[in-house]
Order: sequence, then C-alpha cells, then structure tokens
Amino acid sequence: MYELVVKDIKKTFTLSKKQQKIEKTDQKRKVAVDKLSFTAHPGEIYGLLGPNGAGKTTALRCISTLIKPDEGDININGLSVKHDSLEIRKHIAFLTSELKLDDFFTPNYLFRYFSNLHGLDEATMHERKAKLFNRFGIEKFQEVKVGDLSTGMKQKLSIAIALVHDPAIIIFDEPTNGLDILTARSVINYLLEMKTEGKTIIISTHILDVVEKLCDKVGIIIDGTLQVDGTLSSIKTNSKDGTLETLFFDLMEEKVGEDHA
Amino acid sequence: MRNVMTVFKKEIYRVISDKRLVLTVFIVPGLSIFLIYSLMGTIISSQMTEAETHTAKIYAEHLPSSIETIMDDQMRYEIVEETYTRDELETMILEGNLDLVMIFDEDFTAQIEAYQGSALPSIEVLYNQSEQHSQGAFSRFQGVMATFHEQVIIERLENPEDYQVYTLSPSNIMDERAAAGAGFAMLMPMLIVIFLFAGAMSIGPDAIAGEKERGTIATLLVRPVKRSSIALGKVLSLAVLSLLSALSSFIGIILSLPRLMQMDDNLPDVSIYGVSEYLLILALLMSTVLFIVALISILSAYAKTIKEASMLIMPFYFIAIIVGVMNSFGADTSDAALVHLIPIYGPINVLSGILMFDFMLINLIITILSSLLYTAILIVVLNKMFSSEKIMFQK
Ligand SMILES: Nc1ncnc2c1ncn2[C@@H]1O[C@H](COP(=O)(O)OP(=O)(O)O)[C@@H](O)[C@H]1O
Ligand SMILES: [Mg+2]
Repeated sequence: MYELVVKDIKKTFTLSKKQQKIEKTDQKRKVAVDKLSFTAHPGEIYGLLGPNGAGKTTALRCISTLIKPDEGDININGLSVKHDSLEIRKHIAFLTSELKLDDFFTPNYLFRYFSNLHGLDEATMHERKAKLFNRFGIEKFQEVKVGDLSTGMKQKLSIAIALVHDPAIIIFDEPTNGLDILTARSVINYLLEMKTEGKTIIISTHILDVVEKLCDKVGIIIDGTLQVDGTLSSIKTNSKDGTLETLFFDLMEEKVGEDHA
Repeated sequence: MRNVMTVFKKEIYRVISDKRLVLTVFIVPGLSIFLIYSLMGTIISSQMTEAETHTAKIYAEHLPSSIETIMDDQMRYEIVEETYTRDELETMILEGNLDLVMIFDEDFTAQIEAYQGSALPSIEVLYNQSEQHSQGAFSRFQGVMATFHEQVIIERLENPEDYQVYTLSPSNIMDERAAAGAGFAMLMPMLIVIFLFAGAMSIGPDAIAGEKERGTIATLLVRPVKRSSIALGKVLSLAVLSLLSALSSFIGIILSLPRLMQMDDNLPDVSIYGVSEYLLILALLMSTVLFIVALISILSAYAKTIKEASMLIMPFYFIAIIVGVMNSFGADTSDAALVHLIPIYGPINVLSGILMFDFMLINLIITILSSLLYTAILIVVLNKMFSSEKIMFQK
C-alpha cells in the first residue's frame, strides 16, 4: 500500500517571449506551484480542484517525475521523486489526454511494448491484457491501428496501456477532459473500482461535478497555492451554504479579486 | 540493456512494417537514383552518337581539292551549292542552318606552292561556338587543316624524313585494379556519405521530433526506462535503418553506372575488392553512420517539430556534401593522422584510400575510434536532453 506525500513543492518556469504575451505579463518567471503540500492515501481518491492555469498539471507532472520541483519533495513509500525517479515510475501510472499513443500501432502491439518496458513476463502480460481489454471493450479492436480507433476507444486504450504494470498509484490529469459522456462515465466508474482495490488515486479537474462524484479528499488550488485541503464533507462545512460550488467561487473571488462565475 | 533492445525493435518495426515508409526510405532512393542516372546516361549517349553521325553543312568558296581529299577522309560533310552574301551566311550560321563557312583565297594553292617571299594565303572561317554541330564541324576542320599543314611542310623539306624529330614510345603500365579503384574512389565516398545522411534525415526527425510533436514521447518518459536506453535504442535503430537506406541508393547507383558511363552494359566490377576491403568499409560506415545519426538525433530532440528538425539538419547536410565534394574533386587524400579526427572528413578520406588500395591502417583506426568517441559524447548529450524537462516539455 502506497501513501503519497507531497511536501512544500515549488515550481517556477522561465517564460518565453511568446508565453509572456499569452499570459499578458512582462515578468520573466512564473511560479506555477508554490509551497504545495498534501497527502493521498491508499483506497482514496484525492482531487486537485482549480481553474485553468492554477498549476494542477504542473503539480501532477512533478508527482509523475516528468519534471522536478525546485523546492520541496514528493515521497512515495520512502522514495523521493528527486532521487529515485526511475524506481518511482515502476509504481505509478500517469494519465492525461496529452500523453498520446502512436497512431501506427495496434493495441496488441502497444500493450506488449509497454509491458516489455516494465519487464513483465509473457504470462502476466496476457493475463493483464485480457482483463483490461475486456474491462474497456477493446478486444474487438486489438488488431486495429490506434489511428483508426474512435476518440473514446483511444482514451480507453490509453488507460489500459497506462496500467499494464498494475501500479499502486494512479495519477490522472483532467480525467474527463474531451471525453463523450459515455466514455467519461466509464472512466469515472473505473476509477471508483480502482479505489476499492486499494489504489492511491490523485486526479486534477476544473469541474466541480467530477469532484462531487469521485473524490474523498479535495485540495482547492488557485494561482499555484493550496487554499483548502480536507475531506469533501469537511470542506463543505466551511461553505456558506454547504455546497462545494459556493466555497469554490468565494475562494476564487477572494484570491483573484473578481467574479469568475 | 533489455529496454534498449525493446526500443530498438519497436523503432525498426515502426519503419519496416509501414508500406509508405518502406517505399520512401528503402525503395524510392535506390529506384530514383537508378532511373535518373540511367536516363542521364541514355540522353548523353544519344547526344553523343547524334553528334558523331551528323553531316556538317558547309559553305565553301575556292575549296582546294587537296584539302577536299583530306576532308573526305576525316569528316562527314556536304557542301552547299548555292551562293550567298556574307550577311546571309552569318545569319544562316547563327540560326544553325549552316555549320561552317570557309572562304579560301582564290589562288590559295598557287600561293602555297610559291611560298617563298609571297604573302601568306588566308582562309576565312565562320562558325558558331554555341552550336554543337557548328562547333564540332569547326574542330574537325581544324584537324583537317593540321593534316594539310603537315603535308605541305613535308613537301617543302629537302629530306622529308627530317620532319620526324623524335620517336615516342609510351607504354601504359597501369594496374587495372588500382585504375578501376581510383574510379570508385572519386565518386563513391562522397555519394555514400550523402546517402547515409539522406537516409538518416528521412527517418530521424520523425522518430524523435515527431514523437515530441505528436506527444508520444511523454508516454515513454513516464515509464521506468532510463533515458540513456531510449537514446541508445533510437540511435542504434536509426543507424541500421540509415545503412539500409544508403544501401538502396548504393545499389541504384551501381546498377545505373553502365548506362551513365557508357560502359556497354557491363556492371562496374565491384569484385575488384576482396572480403577484407568490404569488411573495412563496413566497419568504417558503421562508425560513420552512428555519428551522423547521433548528430541528427540531437538536432531532432532539440527541435519542437519535424519541420524545425529538418531545417536544423540542413546546414550540417550541406557541410557534409561540401566535404564530400572537396574530397572528390579537390585535394587528394591526406595521410596526416590528425585530419582523420575530423568527423565526416576522416571517414571519406579513408574510404577513398580503401577503394584505391592505398590507405594507412592507423588512419582507419583513428577514424573509427574518433567517430565512436564523438558518437558516445553525442549520446551522452542526447541522454541529457531526454532528461531535460525544458527540452521535452517546452511550451
Ligand atoms: N513548461 C512550462 N513553461 C512555462 N510555463 C509553464 C509551463 N508549464 C506550465 N506553465 C505555466 O504555469 C502555470 C500553471 O500551468 P498548469 O500547471 O498547466 O495549470 P493547470 O493545469 O492548472 O491549468 C500556467 O501559467 C502555465 O502557463
Ligand atoms: Mg492542466
């Protein structure tokens, strides 16, 4: 059972000229995540809720070892993202619509390829493939090139392939982004299933509804800093009318100084 | 190491199982070179035969019969019967309706015979340097006049034998093998390096910059795979594929050489080289292609898109071509050990040497080892780049 501890991480980016224009700033540096701390436990789904540009993807990329925090550290079972990234990658899955599969290959080929990279033996690979492909209805499309799959099927395949190594920790950036309702529903159900299997799950989202449906714990992140962190129910008690929505927009207003609703 | 193989196999499979890529990487280069060179050869040879069998149209005034006899001997021609003014003649020459105009002094033969004291007889000739046939007719006519000149001189001498002032006895003791080798050494090293580069360029940018552009590289980077395994797997697979692509071009050129060089449809005799030469060439090419591929990989890893990668590679490609051309048409191969440390230049130099059966083992070793060393350095850099979030996740 793997606990994930994020401790005081800070990540600053140097902005290119182009980005300065997009962000409408003349500052050279952007603090994307600042002193962020939270803990995610096995058998729970932790949700990072925040508007676009809040720093969610950056935080999740740090956890996934794709980028390194400038300050602070993230620990998974005593392993640190700073020093043991290779080891950590054996236990995590990072899912996002930004990670793509090569259109040219078939589900079968990709499943085998990534299983090989994880060093799985043939029997384990077949067993996992049967289970995951069955769960997501990919069997019929095993030999169809990724490029010829529907968007929903591609997304499901991404999930199946991300989980070849049966990771203890699942990190999912915006799990329902760009999905049709059916696929979104099946993804949400699958995450709930993984939770009951005792996985540690961290998701990010800007959709309140996703948090309500999925999360046991929530951290609201605005402008790189965590404003609130706790169980969904305890957080709601802080809200004027007991809803997550009101709390969220109040926080936004307070922090950004304008009404985003 | 296991992951190096996994990445390697996937990259190879990616290319050889894709009909479109097989066509563009392995078939089209060889085929297009074969077709282009064969076509060039055919055109050149048909032009040459046409020029040789062309009957020159000549306008002549007061043509001495002694010269006409020599002309009958040495060139194909017909004399235009009509008379024209000088202006008309010039126009006809310019327009290509006439190849040559020759106007001899009326008493040309008499003047030649009474040569002592009298003025030199003259011949006025009009021709057009920019017209192939006119130019050809003029040069044949010069040959005719040289023969005539010789005849006249011999006649004027008291002892005709005096005309001969020495005897020349050349014997061509060329080593057939070295001569054939020199032919190969002239073109092949340059072409081979260009082919290797072109092969690597046709797949490298897609395999690395393409993965960044399409967002598939991050899928790999979240796996427990060392960046160095990815770098090695990519470079090794690209090297093998580039070698195969270059081989295709190479076969294309060998097959088209008979046509191109008008060698009566005999294939150039590549059997002048033995197993040892081929092994040395292979070792040399492997180390060279590794260097080229590693260089292209780095540029591709730096670029954000395939297009940008191709643009970054271009200048290096041109440098390689220039180095190749310098070797083929310029300075002859150098035996100085140090120049063999120069990437691309060293391999081309040694390759020329091997093809001419004249190279120094030490230079071959220096070339191969230095190429491998540079490759290792580039792979270390590539590994750093794959680990760099700036390069991999730049917005
Ligand atoms: N690689 C990067 N280079 C420069 N700026 C970045 C980079 N990644 C993210 N940012 C900036 O950091 C901030 C947080 O981005 P992100 O983590 O993507 O937010 P979210 O996922 O919450 O929408 C944004 O202002 C974004 O422009
Ligand atoms: Mg995001």
